[in-house]
Amino acid sequence: MSAPLATRIAEEHAAASESLPRGLAGAERRRKAIEALTAQGLPTSRDENWKYANLRPLERVRFTPAAAPPQGSVTLANLPPPLEGYARYVFVDGRFTPALSTPAERGGVRVDSLSRSPSVVLLPSALAVQGLADARFALLNEAFATDGAAIRVASGTDCPACLEVVFVASADAQAGASYPRLELEVEAGARLGIVERHVSVGSDASFVNSAVDVHLASGASVQHYRLQETGARATWFDTLAAVVAENATYRVHSVGVGGLSARSTLRVQLAGERAELGLFVASLGDRAQVQDTYALVEHAAPNARTEQIFRGIAAGRARVAFNGKIVVGKAAHGTDSRQSLRGLLAGPEAEIDVRPQLEIYTDDVRCSHGATAGKLDENMLFYLLARGLDGATAQRLLKWAFLEDVVAKIEVPELRRQIEQRLAGQMPEAAALQELL
Amino acid sequence: MHSENAMLKIDNLHVRVDGKEILSGVTLAVRPGEVHAIMGPNGSGKSTLAHVLAGRPGYEITAGKILYEGRDLLALAPEERAREGVFLGFQYPVEIPGVNNVYLLKAALNAVRKHRGLAEVDAFEFLGLVRDRMKLMHIEDSFLSRGVNEGFSGGEKKRNEILQMLVLEPRLAILDETDSGLDIDALKLVANGVNTLRSPERAIVLVTHYQRLLDYIVPDHVHVLVRGRIARSGDRTLAVELERRGYDWVTDEAA
Repeated sequence: MSAPLATRIAEEHAAASESLPRGLAGAERRRKAIEALTAQGLPTSRDENWKYANLRPLERVRFTPAAAPPQGSVTLANLPPPLEGYARYVFVDGRFTPALSTPAERGGVRVDSLSRSPSVVLLPSALAVQGLADARFALLNEAFATDGAAIRVASGTDCPACLEVVFVASADAQAGASYPRLELEVEAGARLGIVERHVSVGSDASFVNSAVDVHLASGASVQHYRLQETGARATWFDTLAAVVAENATYRVHSVGVGGLSARSTLRVQLAGERAELGLFVASLGDRAQVQDTYALVEHAAPNARTEQIFRGIAAGRARVAFNGKIVVGKAAHGTDSRQSLRGLLAGPEAEIDVRPQLEIYTDDVRCSHGATAGKLDENMLFYLLARGLDGATAQRLLKWAFLEDVVAKIEVPELRRQIEQRLAGQMPEAAALQELL
Repeated sequence: MHSENAMLKIDNLHVRVDGKEILSGVTLAVRPGEVHAIMGPNGSGKSTLAHVLAGRPGYEITAGKILYEGRDLLALAPEERAREGVFLGFQYPVEIPGVNNVYLLKAALNAVRKHRGLAEVDAFEFLGLVRDRMKLMHIEDSFLSRGVNEGFSGGEKKRNEILQMLVLEPRLAILDETDSGLDIDALKLVANGVNTLRSPERAIVLVTHYQRLLDYIVPDHVHVLVRGRIARSGDRTLAVELERRGYDWVTDEAA
């Protein structure tokens, strides 16, 4: 299954290669990506780390980048309301779209469109590490990417409410793919708040394959909000790789509600002493949705900390999965890692898979993990009924409360409100809950 | 007992849990304005009775009936009972992190009001009402923003039950071992809260193991439940006698 797919990708790539922008990644680099991808083959559901993902839609999508959409086909009214004070950069089907963007000067922050600024030097990608099985979709992105945001934050910059990057998918998967790309380099001691959103406009059956590359230098601090709310029939793949240097803090808040088949692969390396990672993930699945997340965190240096929280709710016939692996390397004594993974089954045909994994190669570490998957607590439910709440409201309230551990970490009030509304909207009979937001 | 004008009328109630009979023919009538204490040793079926009245799932009613204000209580869903004015104070109130105390109070009060055809409570008035009752129960302001019972001590949870009761103003309050685990100061607070609610149109059923609570909430009737049956009924002096002679006295008689 995967070999013919890789062959088809290579063929599509050969046909499209002349038209791919060279400033972004030279032909040589793209060719290498395709070679590596062909050699490794695309993952199949037999692969341990891919068994919960829905890979079937790949058989039907077109990998060649979608043509630029006709001007005016996506308007401001199609986009989520902008966050006050944030400079906004909008990409439609993987191409920077100035007409929809509201860039703003931010001292010490430089944002470039990868295709328009050939001078921008590509980062040595943490994504494309050879042999890393879970970088295959990043290779696919590298082979086909049409554009991307390159963000450099200079040393000492303080911009906690800074940038919003919105990736819009508009083309149908039959017409072509969308390749969002984000490269973020934060220099020593800088502080940044960034919001990354993935939405759909037009066709709700797009194929999106996003790649995000993050480098945090010594003492840098980044709040990275990621919101996946693509169309109801979209296929969404995502690969994020981050390297966190000593004393740097990287907090990723990831909320996934959209798409029919969504898979996010995260790989964070705590490369320096006392580096810190907060990974807060909420996934909601309903109907026949598949929401799958694989997170690999590598502790490569001493005294680094990880806090990982996952809350997932599966309703309808949905499958919601989180596979969280933490590897504590030989050098990583003094590691402090906490994992709390919880899934909620909200329908008799739904599926929850939560899987904490811990590999420790040194002594003197503190690693805790808890994982649960279950239905709504009967005692809680009865307590609410006994106070006069009807069954539907009580269930909705408890689902809401279940996500609180992740939602409460969102420090941008306006974004939190938007996300709360989005989460409420995802739950059936949301109208009544909207009243309390 | 005169049961014609009873608010709650339990008649020959038999209840099974997991195939085992827990209540074996309970008969009891509670009239408006009365306070009844149901006492009994552990395992006698006290909490089962309280749960059945509130409509908790998992109990099989094999015989008997319960009338509440002339209606078949067992035919009502738990939330309908609550809206009709039946309140259960839980022995073990659950913690619900993420659901705000104030939100629950407001949702509960509005559910009752809606049922009675009243408009939703005004936000300002509501907060005034809650603060007033919180003061009575010595509950701190920070409570307002916390999750339901989240991180509360045992005593705080019980005080919260009474606070909810005072805000909802039920017609029939069933308090399941509300005194257990309370120190003397908390016990007095809880008793004071319950006494505030006493009125000619309300009835209160206290389920308790110890006589201690009854020093502060003086009952009109005391019943002793033994092996799923009311073995003896009397006035408050029965509770005093139980305290003095222990449950064995009634248990042996009932055997």
